[in-house]
Amino acid sequence: MLWNKKFILVSSIIVVCFLSACAEKEKLEDGSELINKNQFVFAASGEFKPFSYINDDLTMSGFDIEVGEAIAKEMDLEPVQKRIKFKGIVEGIKTGRADAAVASHTINPQRSKHVSFSTPYYYSGPQIFTRTDSKIKTVQDLEGKEVAVAKGSTYADTASEYTDKVKTYDSDITALKALSSGRHDAVITDFVTGKTAQKEGFKIKPGQLINRSEQAIVLPQNNPKLLKRVNESLEKLREDGTLTQISIEYFGEDITKKPE
Amino acid sequence: MPSFSHFFNILMETKGVFLKAMLLTLELTVVSILLGIVIGLVFALLKISNIKVLELISDIYVYLVRGTPLIVQIFILYFGISGIFLLPDFWAASLALALHNGAYISEILRGAIQSVDKGQFEAGRSLGMTKTLTLRRIILPQAFRRALPPLGNQFIISLKDSSLAAFISMNELFNVATTLGSNNFDEMTYLLIVAVYYLLLVALMTFVVNRIELKLAVSDR
Repeated sequence: MLWNKKFILVSSIIVVCFLSACAEKEKLEDGSELINKNQFVFAASGEFKPFSYINDDLTMSGFDIEVGEAIAKEMDLEPVQKRIKFKGIVEGIKTGRADAAVASHTINPQRSKHVSFSTPYYYSGPQIFTRTDSKIKTVQDLEGKEVAVAKGSTYADTASEYTDKVKTYDSDITALKALSSGRHDAVITDFVTGKTAQKEGFKIKPGQLINRSEQAIVLPQNNPKLLKRVNESLEKLREDGTLTQISIEYFGEDITKKPE
Repeated sequence: MPSFSHFFNILMETKGVFLKAMLLTLELTVVSILLGIVIGLVFALLKISNIKVLELISDIYVYLVRGTPLIVQIFILYFGISGIFLLPDFWAASLALALHNGAYISEILRGAIQSVDKGQFEAGRSLGMTKTLTLRRIILPQAFRRALPPLGNQFIISLKDSSLAAFISMNELFNVATTLGSNNFDEMTYLLIVAVYYLLLVALMTFVVNRIELKLAVSDR
C-alpha cells in the first residue's frame, strides 16, 4: 500500500516535470521570450530548394537560412537551425519547439489566426508548372486536371479553387519530381522553387504566374516583444542592403523589394 | 488535447471524406494481403522444396524485403522504376505492400508447414498418395490452421502499414488526416479521428480472422 502511494507520487512528479519542461521559455530583460536566452532557434523544412536545403553534414543552407542567421546576428544571438517538416512548422511555433520560423511562409488570414507574422522578407507568387509536352497554361486549363501540391502550403487552397483533384505530398520537390516522372497534370508551387527544379534537370516548364504573395517570418502570438525585435532587425537588414545581397547571391535578382 | 465535443463535431463533419479514404485503405490492404498470401505460399514452397537453387532464391527474396524499410520499397516502385515503366500510384503502393507482406507470410507459412508432424507426410505417402497430393490434402490444411494466428497479426500490421501510401500522395486515411489537420491547424483532432477509423478496421479484421479460425477448428471438436 505504502509502496503504491510512493509510486504514484514519484510518477506524477516525473509527469509534471515533463509537462512543464516543454512549455518553459527563458524571459529576457526586454520582455521577449526565447527557448534559450542567448540563442535564436529558427525552423525551416530543408525541403524547399533554394530557400532551404540540406547539406551533406545535415545542416541547412539556402536563402531562408541566411536570412535567419542574419537576423540572429543582428539581435546578438547565436543562430540555431531547427528542421521541421513544412506542414508541422506552424504547429511547432505554437507549441514552442522553435522561437521563430524563417521558412517562406506566405502571409494569409488562416495562419494569422494561429501565429504572428513579421514584415515580409521577400515577395513571390505561386506559379503553375507542367510537363514540357503539356497544353496547360492558365488556371482555367486546370479544371478537371490533377494538381499536386505540398501539404500545409497555401498552394493547396489555390489549387482547390480551380480543380477538385488535388494530390498532396510532404514537400514541393517531391511533388515536382512526381510531375517530372510522368504523374499528375500540374504542380502549383513558388515560382523560384519551380525554376530551380527546372534548372536541376526536372522535365517541367512554367505556366501562368497565379498571383503575388508576401513571405514573412512566423512567430508565436504570445511573444510581441520578440516580434518587434525581429521586425527592427529586418528593417536594418533591408536598409544596409544585406537582404538584397543574399537575394542576388541565390537568385541573381532582388526579390526582397515589393514589386510594382 | 482537443475537447471531446470538438472532437465529436469534427468526427461527424468529416464522415464523408473519411469513409471514402477508409475504402481506399481497405482496398490497398485487401489487395496486398491476397497478393501477399500467393507470393508467400510460392516462396514458402520454394524454401521447403529441398532444391538448393530454389531455396537460395527464396532466401534472397526474404532477405532483401525484410532487410529494407517498406517506405523505401514504396518509393522505389513509385519513383525508381518510373523511367522504365510508370506504375499507377495504387499499384505502386499495393505491390510494395504485397511484396513486403509476402516475405513475412512466407516465413509464417514455412514455419507452420515444417511444424506438421513428419508422420503425417509418411502416412500420406504410404497410402499411395503422391508428394504433391500429400502436401495439398494432408499437410497444407493443417499448416494453414496453425498459421492463422500469426497471419492475422500480419494482416493487421499490413493494414496499418498502408498508411505509408500517404507519402506517394494516395488519399487514404492517414494522408487525409494529416492534410486536413494541417489545413485547419488542428493536427491532434484529426489524428485522433483517424485512430478511430483504424481501430474500426482492425476490429473488423480481427472478427473475420476469428471466424475463419472457428470454422477451421471444426475437426478439433
